[in-house]
Amino acid sequence: MAATGNLETDDRVPCALWVDNLTAGYAGRPVARLDHLRLENGAAALLLGPSGSGKTTLLLALAGLAERISGSVLVAGVAPSSLDRRRLDRFRGNTIGFVFQNVHLVTGLTLHQNVLLAAYATGARQDATRARELIERLGVGAAADERAEKVSRGQAQRAAIARALLLRPRLILADEPTASLDDASCAAVADVLRRSAQEEGAALLIATHDHRLREHFSTVITVEALG
Amino acid sequence: MNLFRLALAFIARRPGVWLLQVAMLAFGVGLVASLLLLERGIDRRITHDMAGVDLIVGAKGSPLQIVLSSLFAMDTPTGNIPLKEAEAISHNPLVAKAVPVSIGDNAGGYRIVGTTPGYAELYHAHLETGRWWTQPLEAVAGATAAKRLHFTVGTQFVGQHGLSGGEAHRATPFRVVGILKPSGSIIDRLVLTDTSSVWKVHEGEDAGAAIPGLIAAPRGREVTALLVKYRSAMGAVLLPQIVTAKPNLQAASPAVEVRRIARALGIGAEVIRWIAIALLLLAAGGFVVNLWVAIDQRRPELALLRVLGASRARLISLIGLEAAILGVAGSVLGIALARLLMGGLDAVAEQYGAEFALPPLGISELMILLAGVILALLAGLPAAILAGYVSPARELARA
Repeated sequence: MAATGNLETDDRVPCALWVDNLTAGYAGRPVARLDHLRLENGAAALLLGPSGSGKTTLLLALAGLAERISGSVLVAGVAPSSLDRRRLDRFRGNTIGFVFQNVHLVTGLTLHQNVLLAAYATGARQDATRARELIERLGVGAAADERAEKVSRGQAQRAAIARALLLRPRLILADEPTASLDDASCAAVADVLRRSAQEEGAALLIATHDHRLREHFSTVITVEALG
Repeated sequence: MNLFRLALAFIARRPGVWLLQVAMLAFGVGLVASLLLLERGIDRRITHDMAGVDLIVGAKGSPLQIVLSSLFAMDTPTGNIPLKEAEAISHNPLVAKAVPVSIGDNAGGYRIVGTTPGYAELYHAHLETGRWWTQPLEAVAGATAAKRLHFTVGTQFVGQHGLSGGEAHRATPFRVVGILKPSGSIIDRLVLTDTSSVWKVHEGEDAGAAIPGLIAAPRGREVTALLVKYRSAMGAVLLPQIVTAKPNLQAASPAVEVRRIARALGIGAEVIRWIAIALLLLAAGGFVVNLWVAIDQRRPELALLRVLGASRARLISLIGLEAAILGVAGSVLGIALARLLMGGLDAVAEQYGAEFALPPLGISELMILLAGVILALLAGLPAAILAGYVSPARELARA
C-alpha cells in the first residue's frame, strides 16, 4: 500500500524533503512504499502505520541508509543516492537529524557530550555553547553534565532531540518517539519536537504507530506493509 | 568530544573485563620485559666486569674457575703463578697490557686485590676522594665496599685471611687512602692495594700451609693471575698456546668461559621466553573474544554513530583506539612490573655480591611497548571490521 503526502507547493523549488514513488526494502525485497511527499522547511508530517509496516525502512531509505529499490528522494535538493559513501555519511550527518525510539544516547558520556556527538560524527565544529543552549531550551539543562545512564528516559529523549538539532539540519526524522509514553509525555514530546523543528526551520517527519499523534499534525500519511 | 573520550567511555563500561585483560597482557609483557632486563643487566655487568680482558693467565686448573675468581670475584683461584712467569708474559710483544692480580684476603667479606693502578684503568675507574697508593699497606676502596664497610680516607682496617672471614692479619693493618667513584662493575666491590702489600701481609707465612690458590708465598714472589689484553688478533692465536705450553700455567679466555655459562643458562631462559610468548598469545586471544563481544553488544550505538554521519573508517579507528589504549595500558603496566621485579631481584642479588647492572629505560622497552600495542591492535582487528560493517538499517529496525 502506498502513502501520499501534500503536493501543494511548486515541486521545482528545492525543499527540505521531496519524495517521488519511493519503494524501499532490503536485498532487493520491497518493504514499504511512499508515493509522493514534499516537506517545506519548518513543515511537519506523520508517517502513520502499524508495527512492521516498513515505516523505519522508509525513514532510513530517505537518509540513504536503507535500500532505495525505485523512485526518487531529494533532501535539501540533493539526491542522497547520487553521493558516494563518504559524502553520503557527511551529508546525512549535516543535513538530517535523527530521533529514535530506543537508541537515544551513548552511555558513559554526559548529555552535553552526547549532543556534541552529532558534530563529532561528521567532523563538524563542536559548538559547545549551542549544545548547552539546546539542552537548556529542551528543559534538561540541570542534567547536562549527568551521564546518560543516570538520567530518566524522558531526559534522554530530550537530549536526543537536542542532538538532532545541533547542526541545524534541514530535515528531522523521528522514529516512534512516543512509543511506550503516557498521554501527557506523548503530547509533550510531540510538542517539543514540532516546536524545536519549527524554531530551527527544519522539516519534521515522524514515523509512528501511535495514533495519539494524529491530533498534533495536519499532514498524516498512512503506511501499510507491502505484500 | 573526541575519539579518545569516546573510546574511554566505551572501555569504562566493562571495567572488570578490561582490567582482567590488561592484567593478562601486563603479565605477558612483564615476563618478556623481565627476561630482557635480566639478560641485558647480566650482559652489561659481565661486559663491565670483563673490562676488555682477552686472556687470563692463572695456575693450572679449571679455566672457568680462573675467570670467575680473577674477573668476577667469585670462586677461589686455582693457585698462584710465579711472578717471573707473569713478567715474561707481560713483556711478550703480543701483549698490549698486562695487569697482575693477587687475591687471598678480604676486608669484611670484600676481596682485597693486590694489583697495580693499571687494574683501575681497565675498568675506567676514577677516584671519588683521596689518592692512589704510594706505598705498601695503603688501600683504595671501591664505592660499594667503602659504603658498606664505612670506609673513609684515613680509615685503618685489618685484612682477614681467605675470601670471607678468616684469621685477621693484625700485624699489618691497611690504611684507606682513596675511595673510587661507582662504576657499575666489580671494582665497586673490591678493596685495591699494591701487589707488594699482599706480599708484605703474608711475609713469614709458610707457603705449604696456605689455602690452595691463596697468596701465601712471600719467598718465591707469586701473583694469582695475570689479566692480559692482546696487542693484535695474532695474540688470540699464539698467546694461549705459549701459556698452555708452560707446565704450571693455564690460559683462560673470559669470552669463551662466559659463552659457556650463557649456553648452560640459556635453556632455562628459553623455556621462560616461550611461557611469556604463550601468555602474550593468550592475552591476544582474550582481546579478540572480549572486543568482539563488546562490539556485538554495542551494535545499536555504533549504528547510531553511523546514522549521525560517522564514517566506517571512524568506527574502525574508534575500535582500534580502544585496543591501542588497552594495549598501551597492559604494556606500560607490564614494563613497570618488570622494572619492579628486577629492581627487587637486583637488591636481593646485591646482598650476595651478584647484582646485575639494571639498564636505564631504553629502546628495548619502547619496542616491547610497541609490540604490545601492535598485538592488541591485531587482536582488535576482527572487532574493528565488525564495527565498520554494522548495518544501521538492520540495527535500528531491530531496536
